[in-house]
Amino acid sequence: MFRFFFSSLLASAVFLAGCSTVPLPPPVAYTGDALIDGKAQLAVAAPRDRVLWHYRVGATALRRGDSDEAARQLDDALTLTRGTLAGAGEAEAARARRMFRREAEKPFVGEPYERVMAAFYRGLLYWRQGEPDNARALFRDGAFIDSDNETKAFAGDWVLPDYLDGLATVKLGGDGAEALARARASSKHPLPDYDPEANVLVVVEFGRGPRKYAAGEYGEQLRFAAEPSRLTGATLTVGGQAVALPAYDDVVFQATTRGGRIMDHILGNKAVFKQGADAVGDAALAAAVMVASDRDDRRRPPPKTKEEREEQREDERERDQAAVALAAIGLFSKIAAAAAQPTADTRTWDNLPQYLSFSALRLPPGEHEAVLTFQDADGVTAASRTQNFLISVPPPVDGRTEDLVVFRSDLPN
Amino acid sequence: MNALTVRRFLPAAAALAVAAAFTGCASQGVKNPSGVPVTEMRPDERGFVAGTGVESQDLVTVTDRMARSILGIPVIAQAANPPVVAIEPVINETRFPINKDIFLTRIRTQLNSKAAGKVSFLARENMRALERERQLKLTGQVTASADPNVTEFLGADYFLTGKFQGISTRTSQGVSDYILYSFQLIDARTSLIIWEDVAEIKKQGLEDAAYR
Repeated sequence: MFRFFFSSLLASAVFLAGCSTVPLPPPVAYTGDALIDGKAQLAVAAPRDRVLWHYRVGATALRRGDSDEAARQLDDALTLTRGTLAGAGEAEAARARRMFRREAEKPFVGEPYERVMAAFYRGLLYWRQGEPDNARALFRDGAFIDSDNETKAFAGDWVLPDYLDGLATVKLGGDGAEALARARASSKHPLPDYDPEANVLVVVEFGRGPRKYAAGEYGEQLRFAAEPSRLTGATLTVGGQAVALPAYDDVVFQATTRGGRIMDHILGNKAVFKQGADAVGDAALAAAVMVASDRDDRRRPPPKTKEEREEQREDERERDQAAVALAAIGLFSKIAAAAAQPTADTRTWDNLPQYLSFSALRLPPGEHEAVLTFQDADGVTAASRTQNFLISVPPPVDGRTEDLVVFRSDLPN
Repeated sequence: MNALTVRRFLPAAAALAVAAAFTGCASQGVKNPSGVPVTEMRPDERGFVAGTGVESQDLVTVTDRMARSILGIPVIAQAANPPVVAIEPVINETRFPINKDIFLTRIRTQLNSKAAGKVSFLARENMRALERERQLKLTGQVTASADPNVTEFLGADYFLTGKFQGISTRTSQGVSDYILYSFQLIDARTSLIIWEDVAEIKKQGLEDAAYR
């Protein structure tokens, strides 16, 4: 019986060794510069985390006005994501579904709201590069990513991807009415008609985006939290006009209205196993203690004959064996419960905004001083957040005027 | 608890517990644990990483078909002088960002390499450099083999262009993408569409449950 006990312990050790964690990436010497630090993190990131860092670095580069770097990072992220979803991450994804593996072991592609934001940012960059039809492709892809969810109640309800899809269509000589109608149906704020002659497209983001956390007894439930943004709108003053920039899209709302995932059910099953194995372990260990203590029960009358003494010894030996075996089962169940990994993947694209706004303006070629202010829910301007900058509208080339995409962010970059 | 009863069920319970625990750590399903070495593939071959978007095998299939189709048009096949064609960028209406020039570039190279002399293409994307060179010749900064005052840039007889349109569906069962690739040859003088052909490709895929 002791052989069995030690075999169980050995098996447990082997089992735990198989489930050991992978080594941590080498440390990064931080400089305090988000772009440099982000790239350094990307350089040492595990393959499963690369998309996450591409997203973060891409957003930072976009805010700094480095369109080429932002486009490179987002292209890498979108390509890796497409490859992963097309099957390149099949083995890792399968592992992440296993009982003793963490969901976070799968290659990160992001929750739908994160993927929509990647498509949105890249779409803006395509537009800035003079390719409105490829920009439109990504706005459509963003709307598509959000087109099917568990409850269908909030499917395809992003505003700006639809609105900009229609605007790009109008700019390309088509009819954007259908996309405009979709955008208006989802928007809480009135959306203006398209102006095909508008040559300056202003995109503004503000507020902190959602963070993920694991809820539930074993962290098996993916939840989102966000610090409520004090700012709820913005105003751009340029060329003698003040343009209201309401929060058309709320990224936190999009994250929290997506509904459940199939992975949530898998994690739920893992949690049930963990709970069950833990309970079995408790019961088996309690039974082992009970059997062991019963052996020494002094209330039984002492044996009188040789046969009774022999029978008692045999009984005690069997009880010893049973106690050890129950202890082994209990121990093994507790180890299995401890090894089960139901925790939800909380890797988060943590430099997303909460609100997105947009306006299309007509400005003549030349430099224009612009002032961007942010307002709270009462319309009070947060003076410390005011941004002053120049909008440089290029002259037409070969009689054609390229759209100028102005991107401003209230987030630190 | 009766020790005899416990002993009777002990081996089975222990075996069950061991089996249950090890099922979770089983190593099956880990494909290509050490990665896949670089593999050279034909561009018309479906690779081991294939999504529902526009891929090289679609490019090859569609452009080969269009090049063959263009060569069959009477105004090309029976023309006394090779018609001059200018290429206009395709319009992308799908949900996939694409390099818009690559389809027409491949059609052009297919036609130039497989049917040299039947059709000529204008290098309109190089017009700025060509115009600058002509100006240099006009000002005498560089030599000229012909009179630079005579405009020799050819006008187009036809415009070759295209449009990609898609229908995409997403459900809990997977993703489906249908793309219609249409190309046109337009008479530059009359605006008549003298040739048009389409290729259709539909793909479906199911994402891993870990991503749904």
